[in-house]
Amino acid sequence: MILRGIGEGVTIALDAIRSNKLRSALTILGVVIGVTTVMAVASLVQGIRRQIFNAIEVAGPTTFYVIRYFSQTPVNPDRLPYEVRIRPVLRRSDAEAIGRLPEIRYAGIWVQVFQKAEYQGVRTQQVIIFGADDRYMDIQGGTLLRGRLFSRAELSGEPVVVLESAVADRLFGRLDPLGAQVRIGGISFRVIGVFQKPSNIFEPPGQATGGVVPFAAARESFRYDETNALFVAVKPRTGVAVGTAMDGVTVALRRSRNLRPGDANTFDLITQDQILDVIGKFTSYFFLAMVALSSVALLVGGIGVMAIMMVSVTDRTKEIGLRKALGATRRDVLWQFLVEAATLTLVGGALGILLGLGAGALLKAALSLDSAVPLWSIVLACGVSVAIGLVFGLLPANRAARMDPVEALRHE
Amino acid sequence: MSALIRIRDLGREYRMGDERILALRGVTLDIHRNEYLAIMGPSGSGKSTMMNLLGCLDTPTAGEYWLNGEEVSRLTDDALARVRNREIGFVFQTFNLLPRATSLHNVELPLVYAGVRGRERRERAAAALDQVGLGHRMDHRPSELSGGQRQRVAIARALVNQPSILLADEPTGNLDSVTSDEIMRVFTQLHAGGQTVIMVTHEPDIAARTERVVVLRDGQVESDRVNRGAAA
Repeated sequence: MILRGIGEGVTIALDAIRSNKLRSALTILGVVIGVTTVMAVASLVQGIRRQIFNAIEVAGPTTFYVIRYFSQTPVNPDRLPYEVRIRPVLRRSDAEAIGRLPEIRYAGIWVQVFQKAEYQGVRTQQVIIFGADDRYMDIQGGTLLRGRLFSRAELSGEPVVVLESAVADRLFGRLDPLGAQVRIGGISFRVIGVFQKPSNIFEPPGQATGGVVPFAAARESFRYDETNALFVAVKPRTGVAVGTAMDGVTVALRRSRNLRPGDANTFDLITQDQILDVIGKFTSYFFLAMVALSSVALLVGGIGVMAIMMVSVTDRTKEIGLRKALGATRRDVLWQFLVEAATLTLVGGALGILLGLGAGALLKAALSLDSAVPLWSIVLACGVSVAIGLVFGLLPANRAARMDPVEALRHE
Repeated sequence: MSALIRIRDLGREYRMGDERILALRGVTLDIHRNEYLAIMGPSGSGKSTMMNLLGCLDTPTAGEYWLNGEEVSRLTDDALARVRNREIGFVFQTFNLLPRATSLHNVELPLVYAGVRGRERRERAAAALDQVGLGHRMDHRPSELSGGQRQRVAIARALVNQPSILLADEPTGNLDSVTSDEIMRVFTQLHAGGQTVIMVTHEPDIAARTERVVVLRDGQVESDRVNRGAAA
């Protein structure tokens, strides 16, 4: 009974679409726009997420970090809560203690600061300057294009910098940056090398890596907040499980800080997984918000469907009367118009998917994002389109179903 | 033999604002199987109301209507729809064909609502079109057919469910006299084949071709007589 209704309804609907092309086009326009928006936004956000995850995995899934206090949002350095204030600030000696552990390949104290770089009047946006050491690229990824990394002597605090290639291009264009003096946060640094960060890394504006200076030089040159900016990067030896290495680090730090067995840790360890987790949560809220906002377009489309179906029902009063005279029950008529509305919106949804795929491809090209439209979103968009037809078709369909056959047949 | 249609004191009242209009006031009538009957009367006599009640498109406000042994005057809308589908074949003055559907599809429509499936549905619709002499016009749309052909399609549609009654409302009202004659011959043939035919008309020469004429006036039966000359 229901299947028969669908077959008949789809035939009638396609017929109605053909016989009234302009009206049908206007009916589904809203749905087309809505589905396009949702698809484009979904593929954009999906692309951003993937990019972030790629970037983090490049750093090596085994790298983890020791930080004074870990929270999902950075703590305000001027108003530290008590449980943060009682924790000691990280020191070079902490990194050295960790580095001595047999299961650890590398441990170094690093700092990240946000600064602008300048050369002869040309300035960059705010970029991240890492204060680290000559092992930076082992841990964070990237390749040295020109020049060299820090010498042992420079590590003690020489004002030298290895610039990221995009920053070097911005400041020097075709000039040779090696040996030049750039100003970073107003302090003069000599360029000794240029490196390229991993190509698939995703960096939001203001979060791009700008260069690496020796940790000691960063400490002398820049003001930074010792809770959020300072951390120890730790890389276990090959073959050592991250969990084992983290246990070792915890034991070593507790011993060097003289903590007793019942005391809580005075530091936090964060793994890539935790960072991924935070970012995953954050982007999924973002994702939901974007999809919810773009759903407003779908809602508007649905209301359009309702309005034009109303007109269509009035237009076809006589047809409805005839169908009832021939034995169509209320349910038959209701079903006919619901299927018609759902067919219309499904066609709209299909067009929207095609346009959404196109928009996704354009965004991919424009933002050089690895954006992909996930298959589930196509299935979902089809389902949502049909649902919109059913929901917003209900009122007009119900009106048709309740018509009095005598009145309807008399209608001209 | 019990009557196919048994009507007792049938009344239909309409309200227009505070005013009550009695369109039918106590009609009693029996119609038997294979009768060929015309309902006549001037406009305002209650003809259309009678037609709507006989066709189960409307329900009476008083009296009883038994159709084929079933009391149909108190049924719900959907139950009435099923009775219409099973028992009644409508032929309208303005044909009422779906303009974008082929003859075959138009004739299939009652079978769709009867739940008859694809192949059988097409075969039965094609047979009905054959019966009215339009077997060669199955794939034509109404706009490609003459008025007489359109009315034949409508008659085929009315017949396809093998209804108890063929109920025609001014079936020749929109046709010229030659075509009218042609359509009336179709009805006469169908009656000869055993079909019960009820025709609502205001044209005496149409009524003259039936076997029984019921005349309504002011919502009541004014006369009900057998038409002796109709056999010719």
